[in-house]
Amino acid sequence: MSGVRQVGRSLPRLEARAKVTGAAEYVHNLHLPGMLHGRIFRSAVPHAEIRALDVKAARAVAGVHSVVTIDDIRTVIPDPYYGPAFHDQPILAEGKVRHVGEPVAVVLAEEAKTAEEGCRAIAVEYGELPAVYDEVEAARSAVHVHDALKPAGAFPDLQHLAGRRATNVALDFHLRRGDPEGAFAAAERVFEHTFRSQQVMHTPLEPHVSIAEASGSGITIHTSSQSPSFVRSEIARLLGWPENRVRVRTAYLGGGFGAKVYVKLEALAAALALLAGRPVRIALTMDEQFFTISRHATTVHIKSAVDRDGKITGRQCRVYWNGGAYADIGPRVAQKSGFTAAGPYDIANVAIESCEIYTNRPPAGALRGFGVPQLVWAYESHTDLIARALGLDPVEFRRRNLLREGRPQATGTKMRDAALHQVLERLATHIEWERPFDRGTPLRRRGRGVAIGFKASIAPTTSVAIVALAADGSATLYCSTVDMGQGSDTALAQIAGEVLDIPAERIRVAHPDTEATPYDMGTLGSRSTYHMGQAVRRAALEVRDKLAALAGELGLPPGSNLPIPELFRRKYGMAAGNLIGSGSFMPSYAPPDPLTGQSPDATPYWMSAAAGAEVAVDTETGQVTVERLVLVADAGTPINPQIVETQLSGAAIMQFGFTMQEEMVFEDGQLRNPSLADYKIPGLRDLPRRIEVETVDAVERDGPFGAKGVGESGTYAVSPAIANAVEDAVGVRLNELPLKAEAVWQALAADRGGR
Amino acid sequence: MSFELVEPDSLPAALALLDPEDPGVRAIAGGTALMLMLKSGFFRPRRLVSLRRIGDGMSGIRASAEGGLVLGAMARLRDIERAPAVWQRAPVVVETLRVHSNIRVRNVATIGGNLAHGDPHMDLPPVLIVLGAHLTATGPGGSRTIAAEDLVSGYFETVLGNDELITEIAIPPQGARRAAYQKCTTRAADDWPALGVAVSLGLEGAAIREARVAVGAVTDRPVRLRETEALLRGGAVGESLWREAGEVAAREVEPVGDDRGSALYKRQLLRVAMRRALAQAAGAAG
Repeated sequence: MSGVRQVGRSLPRLEARAKVTGAAEYVHNLHLPGMLHGRIFRSAVPHAEIRALDVKAARAVAGVHSVVTIDDIRTVIPDPYYGPAFHDQPILAEGKVRHVGEPVAVVLAEEAKTAEEGCRAIAVEYGELPAVYDEVEAARSAVHVHDALKPAGAFPDLQHLAGRRATNVALDFHLRRGDPEGAFAAAERVFEHTFRSQQVMHTPLEPHVSIAEASGSGITIHTSSQSPSFVRSEIARLLGWPENRVRVRTAYLGGGFGAKVYVKLEALAAALALLAGRPVRIALTMDEQFFTISRHATTVHIKSAVDRDGKITGRQCRVYWNGGAYADIGPRVAQKSGFTAAGPYDIANVAIESCEIYTNRPPAGALRGFGVPQLVWAYESHTDLIARALGLDPVEFRRRNLLREGRPQATGTKMRDAALHQVLERLATHIEWERPFDRGTPLRRRGRGVAIGFKASIAPTTSVAIVALAADGSATLYCSTVDMGQGSDTALAQIAGEVLDIPAERIRVAHPDTEATPYDMGTLGSRSTYHMGQAVRRAALEVRDKLAALAGELGLPPGSNLPIPELFRRKYGMAAGNLIGSGSFMPSYAPPDPLTGQSPDATPYWMSAAAGAEVAVDTETGQVTVERLVLVADAGTPINPQIVETQLSGAAIMQFGFTMQEEMVFEDGQLRNPSLADYKIPGLRDLPRRIEVETVDAVERDGPFGAKGVGESGTYAVSPAIANAVEDAVGVRLNELPLKAEAVWQALAADRGGR
Repeated sequence: MSFELVEPDSLPAALALLDPEDPGVRAIAGGTALMLMLKSGFFRPRRLVSLRRIGDGMSGIRASAEGGLVLGAMARLRDIERAPAVWQRAPVVVETLRVHSNIRVRNVATIGGNLAHGDPHMDLPPVLIVLGAHLTATGPGGSRTIAAEDLVSGYFETVLGNDELITEIAIPPQGARRAAYQKCTTRAADDWPALGVAVSLGLEGAAIREARVAVGAVTDRPVRLRETEALLRGGAVGESLWREAGEVAAREVEPVGDDRGSALYKRQLLRVAMRRALAQAAGAAG
């Protein structure tokens, strides 16, 4: 027994040594005997009928095993359409292609290089169709990406969309609270702006990889997935098999960020393995990831009514999410983040319309924040503009309007354990907002800005965990949470260790394998610490109770400190047996009213974070240098403070890239920069010189030991904080991401009367 | 993609494997640029002639007796950056290499390959132009000398024959001339330049006796700005001359927009970078 608290320790990650010594397991390194390599032949056009697909020459390439098209897939998967919200995505293109880079065929070969050569021998004849790329235009366009909507059967709230035709609006979410029209009519001032954000990519350094092998009566899929349980049920559905014939296992992930949730390559790999009768590996290159999944480009129209006292009395938001050609989880982004589009403010009258739109771009899904960063970008830029127009201090204006504990958010759900005010106040203190600020020189003007954002947890979702105690006193935790670099193994081991009074280092966390680890909805949306944390805590409590019962059964007095191995020996006569506890957790939830979006229980918890940025702007070139970036977040009570800090700084750096540099640039549906040479993620020399993070002293009452999720929080407020700082420095407001030097310069030149 | 990869062990053997007529036959040195073109499918070689095995004899970095530098074409950028002789005799080359590309690229890219690529978005060509560098190109008929400013003839085009290789780069003694390079990037710190300005000034007290000015990444090839040079020559060191030079330079070339900036923006960057490069060169220790 350790006698040392496990929760609250800044324990280095359990796998740190294995990772730096190259011993950690990744699916990318897995090679199975007899394994074939598949290479995907992709569409070169954004929208077209496939008139002819000629694979004869590819089949003839020496070393090519076979070439697979959708017709072949149909022999093993009769209805080969998948997707978490809509069954709209074909495993390989069928009759039509809807975006550049869409998988059209697969060449299987003994070697990856041969498969690539085979791909070059494929000839396809396209009949190009008119296409639509912009989300606002697509919402009204006569060009349609799909003939009819195909919502997944599992969700009752999507069924009214089934069969809807002649539309690119995959889903329209509506929220209505109070009397927005009345509020605008009675307003002292009305402000209205439009903000746009660009399509960007997750860029996990380990690209997607899936290896499938037929095994006895079933199939095993080794995959770099964030949601093995979902993959299992979706593959079972596609194959028409019971779930227990599908085994999905993962290892460590070289990053996920939402790119690896739901089905990505798994359905394709499974079908190929069944067709070939051999294991098949599909591994994407970095460049192919651009055509696989991305973050939505978004247009947000936001309008506010403000009264004489600087209180926001009404807000209207219209959000267009550019979902690309396949819905992926986009409809859920539109709903579950859409209801926070009005921001963390106490506004009595709110109208939100949030629409997931199909376009002929590569699909968009969830990327570290589930749509929230795009929304915060809009409402916190807007909030700053209002404060400036009213002549109010931006911190004070926010302070005046921020939601307080117990007050209803736009859904009607009351704020609970949301440390919004604390977060804002700590940020203001940390960056010394009240003190005079160095404004720089005419050629290098300095400015600062703040922003605050919040996010609901996606609900309802379930996690299940098993804790097994061995006769030597060591414990193994079985759960399907995927450690993709966020440190979940360590945090969950700390939670189990805290309950069992065992050092976390001595707890083994088994990696997801659906044949052994129980169900978990997925490692996404900053849900694991809270949901799986509670399941693990419950499982460990059950073991602790069983230990106490065992001690009682052995006639020991309550509170006896007999070592665990001794208990087992006394019970079994030798070192044998197990004590097993299981726990499952699903928070309460009330679905929103379909017409008004109102719900008394929209989320189990709220996450919030504020950012402060200090920038210097070169007034001759428009170049913006972020000198300092400060993040303050409400993570409840951190399980592992060090990991919480690196999650916050990592997320902030990621969003910094999306703010300043990263952009998928399209021209007529063609991606102009599908490589890391031209799609620029931040390097060390790009980062703010100072990045500082802190968490506020807070408790999430329903979280394990007061904790809640934090993986995305660092992203929320970064973009508007920087844009607000730029305006503070040079009086230039940018409404579009990324914040390009040229755009700043153009605005400055326009201010000066042009050059 | 199938192609022939040959690794000759002598320069004559390498030259013999090149083909004056076939653009599908190319030499490969560090490969940092060529590999990107291969991966994107932009270039489909028939034969690649690797210079790997002849690199040792062609990678020397030495100080010439007259006070200049002689760089073997196969010298790696990182080795040039770290060579004391380069530090002493042409510090602007070191400063340029430090912002040229990330260290992994600098560790493998060679100076000869960098120049022969003819990419207009490169940092070294304008710098070598203002330093008055000359290249030695060797072909089946022997060697010839090419001024750095004459090397690139158009967009990804050089005056080199397809069966010629750059073998050596000679930088003349700089004397008391002072040089500077201003690189502007717009998408990330590590990127090809949106614009690069190199200047070299020969000063006599506060007067400019001699000036060389070149820009890269602004048109289809690195160019020397003769009107700007003429303005500077005989002028007095100082902010007002630098500003005027920026204006003249901005008029002297017709920028071409690309993914890193519009033509209009590049003109502004040129104006600013020219002024800053001149101020930096004039302020630099001789």
